[in-house]
Amino acid sequence: MDTNETLRAHISALVDGELPQADAELALAALQERDGKQAWDRYHLIRDTLRATPAPDLSPGFAERLATALAHEQGRLPSDRGDLADGNGSGSGGANAVTGSTGQAAILANPGDS
Amino acid sequence: MTTERESDQLLVERVQAGDQKAFDLLVSKYQRRLMRLVSRLVHDPAEAEDVVQETFIKAYRALRHFRGDSAFYTWLYRIGINTAKNYLVTQGRRAPTSTETDAEGAEGFDEADSLRDINTPESMLASKQIAHTVNAAMEALPQELRTAIVLREIEGLSYEEISEVMACPIGTVRSRIFRAREVIADKLRPLLEFPVDKRR
Repeated sequence: MDTNETLRAHISALVDGELPQADAELALAALQERDGKQAWDRYHLIRDTLRATPAPDLSPGFAERLATALAHEQGRLPSDRGDLADGNGSGSGGANAVTGSTGQAAILANPGDS
Repeated sequence: MTTERESDQLLVERVQAGDQKAFDLLVSKYQRRLMRLVSRLVHDPAEAEDVVQETFIKAYRALRHFRGDSAFYTWLYRIGINTAKNYLVTQGRRAPTSTETDAEGAEGFDEADSLRDINTPESMLASKQIAHTVNAAMEALPQELRTAIVLREIEGLSYEEISEVMACPIGTVRSRIFRAREVIADKLRPLLEFPVDKRR
């Protein structure tokens, strides 16, 4: 990473409020230069543009489908299933399929989280 | 006064005690945020919705093991991202990783050129071009760069939270976000240095 790139990395962290105090002086000095100011402007433009881009909504039937699937889960979950081995509980589930809005049941075949 | 993390933990503990309605409250709270995140990884809205549903089911199954070492939402996002990645693999649409696709090699965006002739006010056109270029650059990013910048810019997570979601050091988060910004900024350069009204 060359010097300019290092300074832009500092500016990127500064944009996020995540720059260590020790690097703050360097970053602020870099903002006085054209390259640094340009990076600052563009990183904020990217942020503003991403935040202005709408995300797709959930379909009207989503809540009902999920409630049905969860009710099914509630009915089949014994208290001591052994298929959730991950330490913080983000492990995979079993091999049971739930059909979603696209009618695809393959997601659950081998989720393999974490 | 309870923080968001604490109020989530209260609901988690109620679910763990058998209160299904408490999980419904967590679903209601996070379903749109999860859809927003997943739809950046799985572009078809119906497929993204399936991944969101699957994420909640996995979370429900795993919740009794959740100890609260991390915030509920960072744990949920992690499940969501892993579920989306696995979904793309099962569909044969594996997202590129940085080891496979150099961020510097992200494709150019000829579509932006085609927009230049649209007969709209130039400022509107410039904004549309910028939005198009940013979003096209996002889609071309390696998956881990895209995930990092989405979690930061759209979800507003801190570097520490992102490091929990992505299971990587904070320094890696910082580097991924910076590299993502650099790639996107590079794609914006022609639009910003040669504005639409000066290209003729």
